[in-house]
Amino acid sequence: MGIELIYQKWSGKINEVTIGSESKAVKIGGQNSLPFLFKEGGLPNRPRIAFEIWDVPPQDWPDELRRPYGGVLEDVIKWAERCQEEYKAEIICVRLLGAHPDLGNKPSAEEARLVELLLQKVAVPLIILGCGDDQKDNELMPVCCQAARGKRCLVGSAVQDNYRTLTAAVLADGHNIIAESPIDINIAKQLNILISDMGLAQDRIVINPTVGALGYGLEYAYSIMERARLAALSGDKMLAMPFICFVGQESWRAKEAKALETEFPQWGPQRERGIIWEAATAVAFLQSGADILVMRHPESVNCVRDYINVNYQDVDS
Amino acid sequence: MEKCKVIFYPEGKSVQIEKGKTILAAAISANIYINSSCGGEGVCGRCKVILKKGEVISQPSGRLTLEQRKQGYYLACQALVQSDLEVLIPPESRLDLDKLTQEEIDLRLKGLYAKAEEVDSVKSLEEGVFAHSPLATKLYLELPAPNHVDRISDLERLYRQIRKMNDIPVMQTGLVNIRRLGRLLRDSDWKVTVTLGKRNGTTEIVLIEPGDTSDKNFGFCFDIGTTTISTQLVDLNTKRILGTRATYNKQASYGSDIITRIICARQQDCLEKLHHAVIDSMNEMIQALIRDNNIDLNDVNCILCAGNTTMVHLLLRVDPTYIRREPYVPTANFVPTIRAAEAGIKINPRGLLFCLPGVSSYVGGDISAGVLSCGMYKEEEICMLIDIGTNGEIVLGNREFLISAAASAGPAFEGSGLSCGARAARGAIQKVTIDPKDFEVKYDVIRGGKAHGICGSGYIDIISCMLKTSLITKEGKFHQIKSNRLRQGDFGPEFIIAFRDEAETGSDIFITEGDIENIKRAKAAIFAAAAMLVKQMSLEFSDIKKVFIAGGFGTYIDVDNAVNIGLLPDIKRDRFIFVGNSSLAGARQVLLSHEAMKKIEEIARRITYLELSIEPSYMDEYMAAMFFPHTDSSRFVNVDI
Amino acid sequence: MGLSGLDIYKLLPKTNCRECGFVTCLAFAMQLAKRQVSSEKCPYLSDEAKRTLESASRPPIKLITIGEGDGKLEIGNETVMFRHEEKFHHPCGLGFIIEDNLGDKEISETIKKINALNFERVGCMLRPDLIAIRQNGNTDRFVQAVKAVREQTSMNLMLMSKDFKAQQEALKLVSSARPLVYCLDKDNYQEFSSLISEFKVPVVVCAQDLSGLSEITQNLINQGIEDIVLDTGKKATTEKIWEMTQIRRLSLFRSQRSLGFPSLVIVENRADPFQETLTAITYIAKYAGIVLISGNETWEALALLTLRQNIYTDPQKPLCVEPKIYPVGNVNNNSPVLITTNFSLTYYTVLGEVEASKVPSYIVASDTEGMSVLTAWAAEKFTAETIAATLDKCNIKDSVSHRRLIIPGYVAVLSGELEERSGWQIIVGPKEASGIPSFLKNL
Repeated sequence: MGIELIYQKWSGKINEVTIGSESKAVKIGGQNSLPFLFKEGGLPNRPRIAFEIWDVPPQDWPDELRRPYGGVLEDVIKWAERCQEEYKAEIICVRLLGAHPDLGNKPSAEEARLVELLLQKVAVPLIILGCGDDQKDNELMPVCCQAARGKRCLVGSAVQDNYRTLTAAVLADGHNIIAESPIDINIAKQLNILISDMGLAQDRIVINPTVGALGYGLEYAYSIMERARLAALSGDKMLAMPFICFVGQESWRAKEAKALETEFPQWGPQRERGIIWEAATAVAFLQSGADILVMRHPESVNCVRDYINVNYQDVDS
Repeated sequence: MEKCKVIFYPEGKSVQIEKGKTILAAAISANIYINSSCGGEGVCGRCKVILKKGEVISQPSGRLTLEQRKQGYYLACQALVQSDLEVLIPPESRLDLDKLTQEEIDLRLKGLYAKAEEVDSVKSLEEGVFAHSPLATKLYLELPAPNHVDRISDLERLYRQIRKMNDIPVMQTGLVNIRRLGRLLRDSDWKVTVTLGKRNGTTEIVLIEPGDTSDKNFGFCFDIGTTTISTQLVDLNTKRILGTRATYNKQASYGSDIITRIICARQQDCLEKLHHAVIDSMNEMIQALIRDNNIDLNDVNCILCAGNTTMVHLLLRVDPTYIRREPYVPTANFVPTIRAAEAGIKINPRGLLFCLPGVSSYVGGDISAGVLSCGMYKEEEICMLIDIGTNGEIVLGNREFLISAAASAGPAFEGSGLSCGARAARGAIQKVTIDPKDFEVKYDVIRGGKAHGICGSGYIDIISCMLKTSLITKEGKFHQIKSNRLRQGDFGPEFIIAFRDEAETGSDIFITEGDIENIKRAKAAIFAAAAMLVKQMSLEFSDIKKVFIAGGFGTYIDVDNAVNIGLLPDIKRDRFIFVGNSSLAGARQVLLSHEAMKKIEEIARRITYLELSIEPSYMDEYMAAMFFPHTDSSRFVNVDI
Repeated sequence: MGLSGLDIYKLLPKTNCRECGFVTCLAFAMQLAKRQVSSEKCPYLSDEAKRTLESASRPPIKLITIGEGDGKLEIGNETVMFRHEEKFHHPCGLGFIIEDNLGDKEISETIKKINALNFERVGCMLRPDLIAIRQNGNTDRFVQAVKAVREQTSMNLMLMSKDFKAQQEALKLVSSARPLVYCLDKDNYQEFSSLISEFKVPVVVCAQDLSGLSEITQNLINQGIEDIVLDTGKKATTEKIWEMTQIRRLSLFRSQRSLGFPSLVIVENRADPFQETLTAITYIAKYAGIVLISGNETWEALALLTLRQNIYTDPQKPLCVEPKIYPVGNVNNNSPVLITTNFSLTYYTVLGEVEASKVPSYIVASDTEGMSVLTAWAAEKFTAETIAATLDKCNIKDSVSHRRLIIPGYVAVLSGELEERSGWQIIVGPKEASGIPSFLKNL
């Protein structure tokens, strides 16, 4: 019996966003099909993984997560170099946490110099994140954007209550912006409209849907992403942005990833548990359309990279 | 108990009140109505009064500025009378109880922005639909006197004569009438007038009078709104409207929204007070209208009320508590006909009171009446009725189906809960335009003179203009522009609509981001409710051929501006039809036709109610509507912002 | 695709007789469209309407039951492609493959390990559903192994063998436990179908492509065998996703009855258990009714079961946070206490502003069943009574030495009664969360 398959033709397409400049630039998005449905449309750019690094040594990272970065956690440049050289990072994501008033309150100029230095030492594209304090970020991010002028970085995060300063800076210095919304498709879209209304091109925006880790509300962002992707493919231009998912940050907060075997013997060894928690969270979000996964553990990154490479084989050939 | 004398200015009315009662209580006793949105909780700050003389005890309140306190301002609901007092009620605290002017009533009933021909078309809609058979009919009878051959009883004789003139199968008569019958017939030489009333499916002889009074047969129809009560005196024989009145619902002193009143009703004596507040308002209007028309109260034989479910409960002094509790079931949607006197309404003591049937806790008889009067229940094409008041009720359908929902829009469109909000009455700013170049503001003031606040339609115009002139973003936050009208207030930026020298209050009249947020929420609730209904029936807004806009507020809306802010759907503007107070119009139709009564009962039973609070996707629709005009801009292609 | 509420309404008598228990025919029709009630509730349906409604209400993907009793596995009966459209109804089964050529002792140990795989998460017990015994050698050994497994676990069984005799013997032993038989293919289904009919057990049909599958299942359906699970064999992951998507689409959109069954995927990668896990993750998300794996590490099971729980959560329930005390920042016994509802959007908005204020504070999320402040107040879920009860229940008085409670400005009217009921001093906070930082700083 012959079965006639159902092909869905979409009128919309996800914007292709270029991060980084010159030969090392990375493209994300550009697809006009749902994740992994290669037979139905184009998925020209594979999802990318960014390594997350901090400008201050992380205090609350579990030992399992610190081990691969032994000796470099104190020095963000060395840390970045290890990610690039040893762990073959495609993108590096630096979080300027040290500028936070409660975490050292580093002056903006100092952070801007750090960004400049990173751009010299690191060849792969850069994601720059503020410290999370609105007031400080509004002072910090414009100078960092300026320091990275022309390097087409991805800069974040713009939120509904605080997007104007960052958008203006990104616009002035030729970067891309991360638009963050609290697991809400309407707010995600509203923010994209507000940012676009300020004059930033739609292919300069990446959506951060604020994902939750496996077991910690993963399904909320998962469905928001599916809905947004379906809307975008159906022609909604204000949702046709690629997604960035902060998988590492969320996964390593999960008890299942952090807890020692001595605390929860019934959960088995911590090492594999931590790695799989991050990797599984990442792969789940690949199913809902993640374009950039910001991750932490090199082993998790390896697993997910292998998974992506195997599944994108046909695209390569 | 020690009594104190409180004199209220500018009226100079005085009242004796027990020491320790609030100034608000004293004012109510003196028949002076002061604003009190929160129901006397000391929260809304709308009942400010100035103490001229005497002593009170009062809790400090954040609702009064230091300057105001120095000037002797108190919150009437918080100030306890300690001695004889002299109190001045400033205009902004006044619940304008003096009857609305005729002009204002006309505006409310017709629609301020509606074109004359639209009003006419609405009128023609309702005329001639139902046969004239008023709920109370008078028949003049000349009975043949009994003799040895024709010796049936007096009562049967009466029935026989009535049946000769009228095809009425079932009849009943109260014992009171029977007791008086023998004497009455003989004294009047067998010439009497009977009043027949339709009562719960049967016909009752309501009244028997000597002689011919059949030309004196009057009734009242009422629309009992949360905020406003409107009524018309109708000659039931000729269908003529003899007079129209509107007044504020005195219950407003116990809270401006339904929920606050339901909560209030549970407190001791409060149900009684709410009940009295509404019947007092009604009795006053009845009195005034019969006086104006030289009519005897005894010739008023029936009252017909359309109101939301809570208002009907309170009118009948039925505990409304369960309306608010899950699963939101009222005590009654269909209220049997009773004597007006039982509810405390003063007309002919035997006169009847009818309440129009409602659909659910939050879709009442006023909406059934709206559906009846706009005629959507018999339309081939899909129609929508949007009634915007303190709540927003929406009905979607045609001759085939009818489905309704209620949105808790809140009283923002009635000017409540906003920094400079006012009801759409004298002194309120409306019809606002803003110049895109210099942000200069032009506005009208209702009934002219100086402004004291902004009414709901004014806010719609303002927000639409601010979007058009890029004063605010699509989420309703101010852009930084250069203008002496934009300033930093206590709660963020605010934009001045009228400077203090143009204002009756002597203070600037302005709009804040919080106000915009408030309006945004109200419009989102209404739009989302309408969108839910459309979606439930697998329709699109464009499938709707007529949108009837009803409600005292609805008559003031500028359609383009309302679409610009996303309150009304973006469909062809000529599909919007203003029906003014459709509830009152429906009530009048029923008063004049038993057929219409049967029809409205059928309508109320037919309307399906969709409880939005348990619909999973309502929240999503609502969030999508929390943007100007809407997050999904493809639904608002033809807007000018 | 199903009929809309309005379509169904047109088939009803439209008398609003209310005998079905609904207020109007339309309300009843809308519930029928959502498949929440049975059309039998209407006593006045015409025969024609009955037929139309019955065929429209037949589930596009058949519900298949494996095993029996409390631990039975039910899969299928799915109605949507994406969980946000309604929900995914029946969580996919997770199972492990045990080879029959392992020693008895090894089998025992493996079973013991699998039996121990259960975890409690957010009030639910998570455990795998299925053990599959795979034949490697002779008939007797397989039957022995099945017997051994059956004796040592209450888990549902799957019998993996193409040996007629072996299946027959094994079914004689365990058919009462309604095991899943694996598998019928184009070569053996004629022969095996008698076995399936005899023992009335669910069966996996295997073919390399959808047409092949369809041919076999259609034949089985004609023989009255309808408890079927589909398998398209071993393939590259993306090819598998494509096929699973097609099966779901064809059954939902085209009512393709021969494919209207749940599907099963076997994921085996002993060399790389991480990749095995990630591949299994893929199929839990994308339409598998059963996922079988070879590894039985705790971390693998924990990750897969957790994802299954996430994906199969009902998305139409409002997002709630757990009603309890949430300390924000470096709190001490003097920190302010704010109360709000447990609607997650409300809670997170408040949380964000409290964090922004940098004033360490306690937020108490009161159980309002996921309603926002004003809605909850209107529906009597956020009242003086309920707030006072929440304060009691969460024992906030043990965390702070003061008795001052900040309530949302929108429910300022509650102040008086709440003060009386709770004994706390009530401070009215701002109406909008955005006012919280300046409010807390100036407290």
